[in-house]
Amino acid sequence: MGTVFLSDLILLVGSALVLLGTVSSLLAARFGAPILLVFLLLGVLAGEAGPGQIHFSDYWATYLVGSAALAVILFDGGLRMRASTMRGALAPAVLLSTVGVLLTAGLVGLAAIPLLGLPPLESLLVGAIVASTDAAAVLFLVRAQGLRLGRRVGAVIEIESATNDPAAVFLTVALVEIIASGAANPGWALTAGLAQQMVLGAAMGVAGGFGVAFVVNRLDLPSGLHPAMVVAAAVLIYAATAMMHGSGFLAVYLAGLVLGNRPVRSIAAITSFHDTVTWLCQIVMFVMLGLLLSPQRMAQYVPPALAIAAFLLLVGRPVAVFLCLWPFRFSWREKAFISWAGLRGAVSIFLATIPMLAQLPGADVYFNVAFVVVLVSLILHGWSLVFAARRFGVALAEPLREARRFEIDLPGQSEHELVAYPVTADTLAVSSGLLPLWARLVLVVRKGQVLSPQEAGVLRAGDYAYLLAPPRRVQRLDPFFMPEERPRGEIGAGFPFAGNVKLGDVADLYGLFVRDQDRVVTIAEAFADRTDDRPLPGMRFAVGTAAIEAVTVEEGRVTQAALRFEALGEEGVSVPRRLWEQVRRRFGKGQDLGLPS
Amino acid sequence: MPLADLLAREAVFPSLRASSKKQALQELAQHAATLLGRDPREIFETLLQRERLGSTGVGNGIAIPHGKLPKLDKLFGAFARLEKPIDFEALDGEPVDLVFLLLAPEAAGADHLKSLARVARMLRDPATADKLRGTRDAGAIHALLTATQASDAA
Repeated sequence: MGTVFLSDLILLVGSALVLLGTVSSLLAARFGAPILLVFLLLGVLAGEAGPGQIHFSDYWATYLVGSAALAVILFDGGLRMRASTMRGALAPAVLLSTVGVLLTAGLVGLAAIPLLGLPPLESLLVGAIVASTDAAAVLFLVRAQGLRLGRRVGAVIEIESATNDPAAVFLTVALVEIIASGAANPGWALTAGLAQQMVLGAAMGVAGGFGVAFVVNRLDLPSGLHPAMVVAAAVLIYAATAMMHGSGFLAVYLAGLVLGNRPVRSIAAITSFHDTVTWLCQIVMFVMLGLLLSPQRMAQYVPPALAIAAFLLLVGRPVAVFLCLWPFRFSWREKAFISWAGLRGAVSIFLATIPMLAQLPGADVYFNVAFVVVLVSLILHGWSLVFAARRFGVALAEPLREARRFEIDLPGQSEHELVAYPVTADTLAVSSGLLPLWARLVLVVRKGQVLSPQEAGVLRAGDYAYLLAPPRRVQRLDPFFMPEERPRGEIGAGFPFAGNVKLGDVADLYGLFVRDQDRVVTIAEAFADRTDDRPLPGMRFAVGTAAIEAVTVEEGRVTQAALRFEALGEEGVSVPRRLWEQVRRRFGKGQDLGLPS
Repeated sequence: MPLADLLAREAVFPSLRASSKKQALQELAQHAATLLGRDPREIFETLLQRERLGSTGVGNGIAIPHGKLPKLDKLFGAFARLEKPIDFEALDGEPVDLVFLLLAPEAAGADHLKSLARVARMLRDPATADKLRGTRDAGAIHALLTATQASDAA
């Protein structure tokens, strides 16, 4: 009876905490408090220092749950990262996540010698524990606050945080082993071990990602099981890699990255499920870390830990960032922001449990110092990151708004997926009035009324659009419902073409690409094909790098159209900008040409 | 390619006389042919061929006749300010008095497009158009057309 009661009690308390965690997000939203901090405080309140009076000091359980949660969070991070965004950010990020981590750890280690009065190796361990930025915190803070960073800066921070755990984990584990065994000079073995962690982690991650994609696409599981399978696979990849002494975190992030950038069946269900699971993991992890904290024991470490936090944020991290980014073309503002965006999070606390588990004598010091540093970072960064981004001029004007896609499971077949989008102004769907050929608008809800596509005509802001699309392409609908990057100020500079001109002739004039079978199609026919014989002025479709827009429509036929070059990259625009434009064209505007690739 | 590279000072005609679209194109083709050392008929045909697909009158009194000319070694631009506005079958129906001719080599590709877009963007700026209409001085027009670049790149 005793154990049954205990399990029920644990369930009761655990679920109550998760419930409180979900509700407390409202609090966070209302007061603008960093949400991860709110979760953590909830844990602290429930713990021995607060009214909850739960005495929890199981470092092993923390480690276990923490690694699973981190694996899922990192996998989700990879899943959402578009490979195209990574261009130009990979090298700096990787340098930061290796050399940068070592530099930060070393600098903090040096500072910790006098501040904590520890011997060099143990000081270095403190440095290693707080050296890596936390992917969960970064992904979360940036995304949850809708902060929209310049592509390269955003990608560097994100990739760095996702890939620097191996270095920190490895350094921590190695130092713990050395300190525990009393061995003197680590030297080579350290570097070799680090290399092994990274290479193995990368290999397992990429292989795992392709494997998962393959299996998901091959197996016909009952709907709803694909996401579950993917989560299990993510944790499996993490665990298997870690057991082989590779970096599990790196592996799981890369696996997510591969999966997210491949055509995968029911990817929409998978990502939306992961969204939920990631939230759950964040809540569980931070509440648990809060529970683990004992303010009484922490109190004595607060002053030196604050000094270490200050040193880390103001000296260690900036020095490492500026040195690592030296070879790359970043402005000082970008470097300053990247320096500031060194968010610490669960990973550091989690790393601090490793010396606890190894029962090192100074474990208590490391743990509490790490905790204070993370708290400082959560509070300081949580509140200042958006401001800093504006201040350093790396934030883009409007906060990132994503296309909100809803999925509806269609029983009985897997060829099509039914998805719904709220339609907002400034989206391609509204401005061009076009949808890709492979997507079929099935109904429109306008002002509470259900309309057929014929009744509804062109989508308007405020509508809800329901579309059928092949599962593999569902994601590619998003760009049509995402607020456009920046409206090109002037509209109008277009070269007139009569509706009876063939696409091939237009293409030849300007060296634009058109599929062979489209060459003989006239502009009017192309519009008719793409709009179900209902073209309207203002609709457009892409021809190579330009767009053809309907200008005059008479009796359902486009008689006058204009060729627009607005989407063209300009000379004098930076190379990344141009690349970005190309990427946008490929995934955004270039798509409504109706190429069924 | 900056406009300064494709528009020579000699290719600016501050007060061209033409009474019709066809005549304007003929005049411009003639001038271009002289500057390029080519057959004026070939250039005129190229322009006409393009006009058959749709007028190059882009609105606001501006036309940008263009086309691809075989064996041209680089983009060639010429600008004419018409003494009297003429009907150009433009989209907005407005008569045209500012004409920018752009000839591209067969393989110009993206450069051709970019230059067209750039010319269109520049001429569509009402302030620039007003200034162009307000002077008969070829040097001033050339300076206007080749100077107003850097600011609008982004």
